[in-house]
Amino acid sequence: MAEAVWSTDTGEAVYRSRDPVRNLRLRVHLQRITSSNFLHYQPAAQMGKDLIDLATFKPPQAASGHRPDEEEEEEVIIGWQEKLFSQFEVDLYQNESACQSPLDHQYRQEVLKLENSGGRKNRRIFTYTDSDRYTDLEEYCQKITTSAGEAPSFLVERMANVRRRRQDRRGVEGSKLKSRIITWEPSEDFIRNSHAINTPLQTMYIMADLGPYGKLGYKIHEHVLCVLKVDSNGVITVKPDFTGIKGPYRIETEGEKQEHTSAWKYTIDNVSSLAQPEEEEREQRVFKDLYGRHKEYLSSLVGTDFEMIAPGALRLFVNGEVVSARGYEHDNLYVHFFVELPATNWSSPSFQQLSGVTQTCVTRSLGMDKVAYFSFPFTFEAFFLHEDESDESLPEWPVLYCKVLSLDFWQRYRVEGYGAVVLPVTPGSHTLTASTWRPMELGLVAELRRFFIGGSLELEDPSYVRIPGTFKGERLSRFGFRTETTGTVTFRLHCLQQSRAFMESNSLRKQMRSVLDRLEGFSQQSSTHNVLEAFRRARRRMQEARESLPQDLVSPTGTLA
Amino acid sequence: MAEVHVIGQIIGATGFSEGSLFCKWGIHTGAAWKLLSGVREGQTQVDTPQTGDMAYWSHPIDLHFATKGLQGWPRLHLQVWSQDSFGRCQLAGYGFCHVPSSPGTHQLDCPTWRPLGSWREQLARAFVGGGPQLLHADTIYSGADRYRLHTAAGGTVHLGIGLLLRHFDRYGVEC
Repeated sequence: MAEAVWSTDTGEAVYRSRDPVRNLRLRVHLQRITSSNFLHYQPAAQMGKDLIDLATFKPPQAASGHRPDEEEEEEVIIGWQEKLFSQFEVDLYQNESACQSPLDHQYRQEVLKLENSGGRKNRRIFTYTDSDRYTDLEEYCQKITTSAGEAPSFLVERMANVRRRRQDRRGVEGSKLKSRIITWEPSEDFIRNSHAINTPLQTMYIMADLGPYGKLGYKIHEHVLCVLKVDSNGVITVKPDFTGIKGPYRIETEGEKQEHTSAWKYTIDNVSSLAQPEEEEREQRVFKDLYGRHKEYLSSLVGTDFEMIAPGALRLFVNGEVVSARGYEHDNLYVHFFVELPATNWSSPSFQQLSGVTQTCVTRSLGMDKVAYFSFPFTFEAFFLHEDESDESLPEWPVLYCKVLSLDFWQRYRVEGYGAVVLPVTPGSHTLTASTWRPMELGLVAELRRFFIGGSLELEDPSYVRIPGTFKGERLSRFGFRTETTGTVTFRLHCLQQSRAFMESNSLRKQMRSVLDRLEGFSQQSSTHNVLEAFRRARRRMQEARESLPQDLVSPTGTLA
Repeated sequence: MAEVHVIGQIIGATGFSEGSLFCKWGIHTGAAWKLLSGVREGQTQVDTPQTGDMAYWSHPIDLHFATKGLQGWPRLHLQVWSQDSFGRCQLAGYGFCHVPSSPGTHQLDCPTWRPLGSWREQLARAFVGGGPQLLHADTIYSGADRYRLHTAAGGTVHLGIGLLLRHFDRYGVEC
């Protein structure tokens, strides 16, 4: 009576495999269970396992000449996308007029060859592969309820065009799609073939012809035993799942007469062969070699050389832009800018220039202001070499001076403003705004002259914006110098700094990390004491380095040695 | 060598008086730089703003560089064009910005400008379109001959750039 336990869970299962899917093998076992057979088994159970009686019942069943056993039971081992023909297909493809597509002709050749070589290995069990028409129609006309009059809605029709199957003709359509990006009047076939999502599936149906004895080959008796779907990522979906140790699945059919009503049971097992240990090791070695070679290829592409600078020097590299100028009185603005390096300890390569002039730009209104856009690129680098270690003062930093001028129709220019910004001390991206002013002279006559004739007061020394070059003394006083507030100039600076000290500080950081690792690893008391001493010594050295960092930022040899 | 990954997008543009804008972009690097993967120039689709004046392109930029030095850091130059109903394209603005040099994501607003001609050419541009263009595109990302230009301010192109730097600390470079 254990055979009466059926498996009622027909949900699908999802597996993942890195093996190629062509190694998949399934064994399907199909057996009929009839009412008469079931009734025959009933008395045997009541008699209490009398072996003689069971043997007595067996021979009359066979001797009666009813239904040969090969029609009642069948077992087939099926490979992935292996085409097993049904009786209907054998009858169909022997008729040449029924062949229309190249697949039909190919199937006709196979069927004729199969009939000549002695027939099929399968009787009732057959398959529909990914290329068959049934697989196309099944995706489109799938039913979801038991209603006989279920009609697909507009949403179902649209969603059916989002196909989950890989098209063999994609190569041709791919090249065609490149030339025509937009298809203005797509046909139904074009929509059906082109709406493929990014995970195409391959599908295979394992079917059974459950027609009565002697009446195989009719479409109405076909039933789905199993649906297999595999995508390119190795995800295998089996519906229903492999039986394994569970009970077999059950199918009941309805015939014209009561005696033709029959039940079938079937099992699905995974009989894919496992790889040999030597093959698995060889495969892993091949993968490791492949990835290693790819990594070496990438490393060779990148290379290892990089420019270095002299020890004890700090390299300041600035990529900048004069972005815009805003809020000025006249139109047709341009900016003249330069970078001033401090006199002591700073140098720059002789080939590069530290100044520039932007284009003349007509302003536009942006809110309440008038804005001129420049997007003027400039790049420079400077080196700081601290030779005198006894000097305790902080290093001076370069300054960016700017001068905004305007140009009118008669080519007269006016000074619109002076400004200055100190270059950022920290590396990274910075947006700096320089507020500008211009010198003015008291009195109405000077303003009238500037308005009508052009020209105005100019600074003889542009560094007067900050600290004049000729300044001597302790207090800077600009009393008596009169200016007027004008607009602003926006700069965008991307700063990089390079020094050998940064490499050594990175190495020191790694040593600290390794000390901590050793501290956690030791369990002996004497060793722990030594490690604690080393840790305390390293921490004291780090504190000394941190205290002297602002003064000896770029010359660590004196401190760390 | 050190490596730089530039991953981002050209989000869109605002402030142009023309509608139906598209953008040509390119990245220029120095001799010490080598492009390992990605496309260093491209062109967006034509976008017509529906509400407001912002045209959205959402054009991807994905580049992988290897470099031997800091000279010649990548520079991004842009050309914004407008297309009218007859399909004619005219220049709306040139823009430039350096690729940032610090890791992380950056929101860049790149202002653009366009060259102006004589008053007759400006009058003709207002009615029939056209206008002067740069003979050589390197004037956008090089400031050498920029002082000869007489330009007008255009709109602003908005970019989002993410930057990944590798092995710069090995050579003592602080970014």
